[in-house]
Amino acid sequence: MSTATIPTRFAADFRAICGAEHVSEDPAQLQAWNILGVAPALAVTPASADEIAGILRFANEHGLSVVPAGGFTQQQVGNPPPQIDVVLFTARLTAVEHYDVGDLTVGIGAGCTVAQLSAMVAKDGLFFAGDPAQPERSTIGGLLATGLYGPLRHGYGGLRDYCIGVRFVTGDGRKAKGGGRVVKNVAGYDMMKLLIGSQGTLGIITSASFKLFPAPRQTRTFVAVFPSAAEALQFRSQVLRSPLDPICLELVSPQAHELLAPGSPAAAGWSICLRAAGSETVLARYRTELGTAVVREMEGANEQGFWRTLSDFSPLAAERHPRSLLISMTLPVRDVQSVLNEVSTVAESNHFLFAAIGRVGIAHLLVSLWPAPDAEDSLVSFVDTVSGLRNRVPRDASLAVLHCPSETRHHISAWGPMPTDLESMRAVKMALDPKDILNRGRFLF
Amino acid sequence: MPVNLPGLVEHLREIAGRDAVLDRPEDLMLYEYDAGIRKSTPGAVVFPQNTEQVSQIMRLATALNVAVVARGAGTGLSGGSIPQAGGLVIAFSRMNRILEVDVENQRATVRPGVVNLQLSEHVSHLGLYFAPDPSSQKACTIGGNVAENSGGPHTLMHGVTVNHVTGVEVVMPSGEIVHFGGKAAESYGYDLTGFMVGSEGTVGIVTAITVKLLRKPEKIATLLGVFESVDDAALTVSAITAAGITPAALEMLDGWTLRTVEAFCHAGYPLDAGAVLLIELEGLREAVEEQAIAVREVCLSQKAREVRRAKDDDERALLWKGRKMAFAALGRVTPSYYTQDGVVPRSQIPAVMRHIGNVAKKYDLTIGNIFHAGDGNLHPLILFDMRNAEQFERVLSASSEILEFCIQCGGSITGEHGVGLEKRDLMSRLFTEEDLDVMISLRNAFNGRDILNPQKIFPTPRMCREITGPSQNPVLMQEGL
Amino acid sequence: MAEKPVSNFSSGEKPTWDLYSKCVHCGLCLDQCPTYRALGTEMDSPRGRIYQMVLVDQGRLALADSFVTHIDRCLGCLNCQTACPSGVPYGSLLERARSQIEENYPRSWLQRKVRSHFYGTVLPSFGKLARHAKLVRFYQRSGLQGLARGSGLLKLLGVAELDALSPRIESDFSFADLGRVYPAEGAQRGRVALLIGCISSVAFAELNRATIRVLTRNGIEVHVPQSQSCCGALHLHAGYIEQSRTLARHNIDAMLKPEFDAIVTNAAGCGSTMKEYAALLEHDPQYAKRAQEFVVKVRDISEYLAQVGLVEPAHKLKARVTYQDPCHLAHAQGIRSAPRQLLKFIGAEVVESPRADSCCGSAGVYNVTQNEISMKILDEKMGYIASVEPEIVATANVGCMLQYAAGIKRKGMNARVVHVVELLDEAY
Ligand SMILES: Cc1cc2nc3c(=O)[nH]c(=O)nc-3n(C[C@H](O)[C@H](O)[C@H](O)COP(=O)(O)OP(=O)(O)OC[C@H]3O[C@@H](n4cnc5c(N)ncnc54)[C@H](O)[C@@H]3O)c2cc1C
Ligand code: SF4
Ligand code: SF4
Repeated sequence: MSTATIPTRFAADFRAICGAEHVSEDPAQLQAWNILGVAPALAVTPASADEIAGILRFANEHGLSVVPAGGFTQQQVGNPPPQIDVVLFTARLTAVEHYDVGDLTVGIGAGCTVAQLSAMVAKDGLFFAGDPAQPERSTIGGLLATGLYGPLRHGYGGLRDYCIGVRFVTGDGRKAKGGGRVVKNVAGYDMMKLLIGSQGTLGIITSASFKLFPAPRQTRTFVAVFPSAAEALQFRSQVLRSPLDPICLELVSPQAHELLAPGSPAAAGWSICLRAAGSETVLARYRTELGTAVVREMEGANEQGFWRTLSDFSPLAAERHPRSLLISMTLPVRDVQSVLNEVSTVAESNHFLFAAIGRVGIAHLLVSLWPAPDAEDSLVSFVDTVSGLRNRVPRDASLAVLHCPSETRHHISAWGPMPTDLESMRAVKMALDPKDILNRGRFLF
Repeated sequence: MPVNLPGLVEHLREIAGRDAVLDRPEDLMLYEYDAGIRKSTPGAVVFPQNTEQVSQIMRLATALNVAVVARGAGTGLSGGSIPQAGGLVIAFSRMNRILEVDVENQRATVRPGVVNLQLSEHVSHLGLYFAPDPSSQKACTIGGNVAENSGGPHTLMHGVTVNHVTGVEVVMPSGEIVHFGGKAAESYGYDLTGFMVGSEGTVGIVTAITVKLLRKPEKIATLLGVFESVDDAALTVSAITAAGITPAALEMLDGWTLRTVEAFCHAGYPLDAGAVLLIELEGLREAVEEQAIAVREVCLSQKAREVRRAKDDDERALLWKGRKMAFAALGRVTPSYYTQDGVVPRSQIPAVMRHIGNVAKKYDLTIGNIFHAGDGNLHPLILFDMRNAEQFERVLSASSEILEFCIQCGGSITGEHGVGLEKRDLMSRLFTEEDLDVMISLRNAFNGRDILNPQKIFPTPRMCREITGPSQNPVLMQEGL
Repeated sequence: MAEKPVSNFSSGEKPTWDLYSKCVHCGLCLDQCPTYRALGTEMDSPRGRIYQMVLVDQGRLALADSFVTHIDRCLGCLNCQTACPSGVPYGSLLERARSQIEENYPRSWLQRKVRSHFYGTVLPSFGKLARHAKLVRFYQRSGLQGLARGSGLLKLLGVAELDALSPRIESDFSFADLGRVYPAEGAQRGRVALLIGCISSVAFAELNRATIRVLTRNGIEVHVPQSQSCCGALHLHAGYIEQSRTLARHNIDAMLKPEFDAIVTNAAGCGSTMKEYAALLEHDPQYAKRAQEFVVKVRDISEYLAQVGLVEPAHKLKARVTYQDPCHLAHAQGIRSAPRQLLKFIGAEVVESPRADSCCGSAGVYNVTQNEISMKILDEKMGYIASVEPEIVATANVGCMLQYAAGIKRKGMNARVVHVVELLDEAY
């Protein structure tokens, strides 16, 4: 386990910026905040964008590496950092900038958790459409930086669709903003798009504004089960071609079903879980349209619980199978079937089992793979499984390894080839964080 | 930047073909305008037919340090395609093929010169359409839509252009051809596709675009709420949103505008109303019927005099015709109009409408209002006659006062038309020096020599007080007055 | 301040501020303009053409080659006028611009000679036209056609030999029909005067007969007034405004009679021009009022038949028909549903092609004078038509019929081109 020591020299400078009680040098605590085994030398918790700008300018002067941190739920994602000088927590950035119930918009500090935001707006019958795993810990800043989403992505769109403004500090310490608090706005470049999914490598998000939605008064989930993925996906295509307009449309593989609901009678097949919102009449129409394929309906707490668990698929899988791969893939819709076939082939040839879920309407798959009980658990088999998949995904797809056994880290790149030109991405990085201060070594460059 | 490099035109002809370059003054004068009010003549115009040609053109322009401005249909309202610095215009009117329609993925890949509505018509028989529907959709190009991140009435429900673009092919100033995104809804890596959309041609030249195609809804209900006053209508807008209904479109026309429009298209708008709301609901039949009832109730509770519902497609088309044609229909009563594009939080619509009324009185101008009320995106149209220089001054003052008010309400200076030349000086009211500095560093990351659409978006200090007196008024000068 | 600009138009009829200032250069017309779609240049768009008129009027552009080229390239199809929400009177602007060109722009000697002969001497006189037609027929029958090819002379005559484009001159002209009255069959429901047209009377005598048969079988008495003349459309569109006025007066004298319920034509171009007589003669103290009365009575054949209603046809037509709007019917007269209604009434399966109301590129003599652009426009149009796989392409104007016949040949399609009236004739 490596620990940087240089920044301790600078601890006083950081204390001067954000106050002594907000700078930590406690080794035990720092150890707890290790990222893939690398512990930070210093932790700071600034209170404002100005303080963050001060910290980052300082870091630029001295070439320190800074890791922005929210709820620490996704820090193990990405390549192992060579060294972490400073971990910067956004926990104190929780102010509500604006909350316009009538306008259905909210602007909130990056350190606020998703659960806090959701609870705040729920009181007014509104609804924040972000549904990442572990919402109690996941922060708004982290949500944006990782671009994460859950099943609601199908019906409500992604962050790029409903994040309408962002304030941030660039890697080189400039305070900046994009967008604003109105739902339609084309003044200036769309900075929201750059920051969403930037994995904390371009700037530190300090606050963001969002469109909210009216909370659905009633929802119901319909579950249809099929003997094969092919049949399930065919059903999905039927739904997509129909006039139905569900808010979630999720595929759950047999193993995934078992993983989500351990102990429950193993599902014999592949299920499509469709969640609809609307009045009784509307929901009755869903029932008619979906027909006899539906074997189960869920409502109320039961339903809530089901989707909550589904959102937590990633942490659940990693917990259940610590020695596993968790792979996230974005694809063109048509390729879901062939990619699932490839997953199955690659898993089989490496003696792995797999569980898959996915927003099959927009073609985002999450696949967990682990060595079969009787198989040899070797580094090579993990590496081969990933490279096997990477070689087989179609053009226009991108594939990230969100979790893998620690010893394989240095052999498996977290990020594979991407459809977007790498040199252009590098140009953006150079423009905002020329000294590579933020999340050095963890993302693309 | 005058193009006095004799080699340029010859080179361009070699690249794009002899009949694909304009350089005679009598032709170039036809590229000095768009649908806005600014004018400036380019040094040459080239009509590429493929990406390779665009790449060679860009390489040449960079080598010769010539400014380059892309042009779609020239329907922009912010001066985006005006070659303010002279230089070269790349016109996409001959690069207008629909390259691929991928039904299963619900994607189409098109060249930038494809006309917005043509794409929807092309895929209509498949039950699909391209959702962004600017009122200029009959003529504007998808390249232009991407550059401006255009919206339209139905973007209230479906989102603006950026929400429908998943991939782009871009030619950089260096001539390099790069790809961002693809057919997937999202992908890992920076979202440069999203960044490209709305960058107003200052970052790269877009040569192909992959867009989402949506399925046509099962049911559409179009309602017309008739109100005695703009205030009542404006309050209804927030009330509808507050009732948890997201209409597909929610448009407002004020009394003066609807009378003017009615004279042209006989859409059946009541002539004595203070304002009307055009409300469209779409989706599953059952859901639409329920919402239609709810919307009617909300309207009536907000003092609507009457709520009508289109009986069939013809009636619906007629109601929309009035809306879609409204901008230009004002051309019937005025030689020119100046369109503003401010945005306010929806709840501020009543306040801003009152403000606009006061501004009109203060400057003795006629201002029509027809706008995307559901988004809070205003389009005050200020009427003028360019022969009257003094009046034009009042127009400019009135429009900055309106935009100033939008900013004070927490809004923005443009919701869909872009900053371009029109609003660049207001950018510093919305953004700090440092905000703008960050954006400029991003522009420079791609377009470091500022040859792509120079003098757009960002305030240029020496241009700040460009419009001061009649003698310096570019519009009037160009009109020869 | 710049000096007060000096217009490069001469006094007299010219595009004026009142007319062109209605154009707010919004560009909404661009994609509706066939020449813009074919060429992609602003100069060849409606907005650009109007702007060029502005530039000439403001003294920034010479009334010279460039201006003339782009105005010449205009089809006059008025697709832009339909598209324009600002109500720009493009038709009048164009006529005025063309009249300015005729007045002030020296064309080459040959062009001038041929144009003035054709517009000044041939067209107004049916007798001469007949002789010309006979001459052309003689050309077609003798092997001389090949010789004439490429000479340019016949092209400019508009009844040229551009193979598929040239009308087949039928052996019996309707001139023989002049002055005749055709009684209604069955109960009489109306009485009309029929304009037999100039080009069409030569080239499509059979069409005129069919028109008469359809009318009479539907209970309409048809008069073919003796002293009618060419409607003046070609003159008007080419910039010979005065000559078109003379022809208008002539036709008013010949056909404005109280006993006629309507003045009917089967040529969309003639109908739209006759409907313009009131505007044309607005300042003629003697004719202004009568011109208004005349206009009220002018009907396109489909408009008239849809108005009076068809009787039950003898045969139902069982065919897949696509109807292509002639510009002078859809854009100039706003008649779109009548022909479709009639086709459906006689049993046709009417399939709509994309851009059915976009110009085919025929536009009078355009397909001859601007052949290359015309063919580009035609090819685009044929692509749309082919996409709906029709058995029959129906339209309502002879110029368009010739153009579509050429298009079908070029595309190697297998479809018949007809006038709506011909299909009606088959049904009755
Ligand atoms: C009557 C009327 C109604 C309108 N209604 C709406 C509306 O409802 N909503 C709305 O959003 N807008 C509206 N507009 C504005 C305008 O139509 C849109 O901005 C449209 O997207 C412009 O498209 P265009 O093809 O005309 O682009 P242009 O005006 O030619 O260009 C616009 C910008 O795009 C850039 N550009 C064009 N092509 C490319 C390319 N290939 N690569 C890079 N940059 C490029 C240009 O440089 C310029 O900056 C309206 C305009 C009019 C006249
Ligand atoms: S002619 Fe009409 S549609 Fe065309 S640019 Fe002018 S105002 Fe717009
Ligand atoms: S009349 Fe036809 S060809 Fe001429 S400008 Fe209008 S649309 Fe174009």
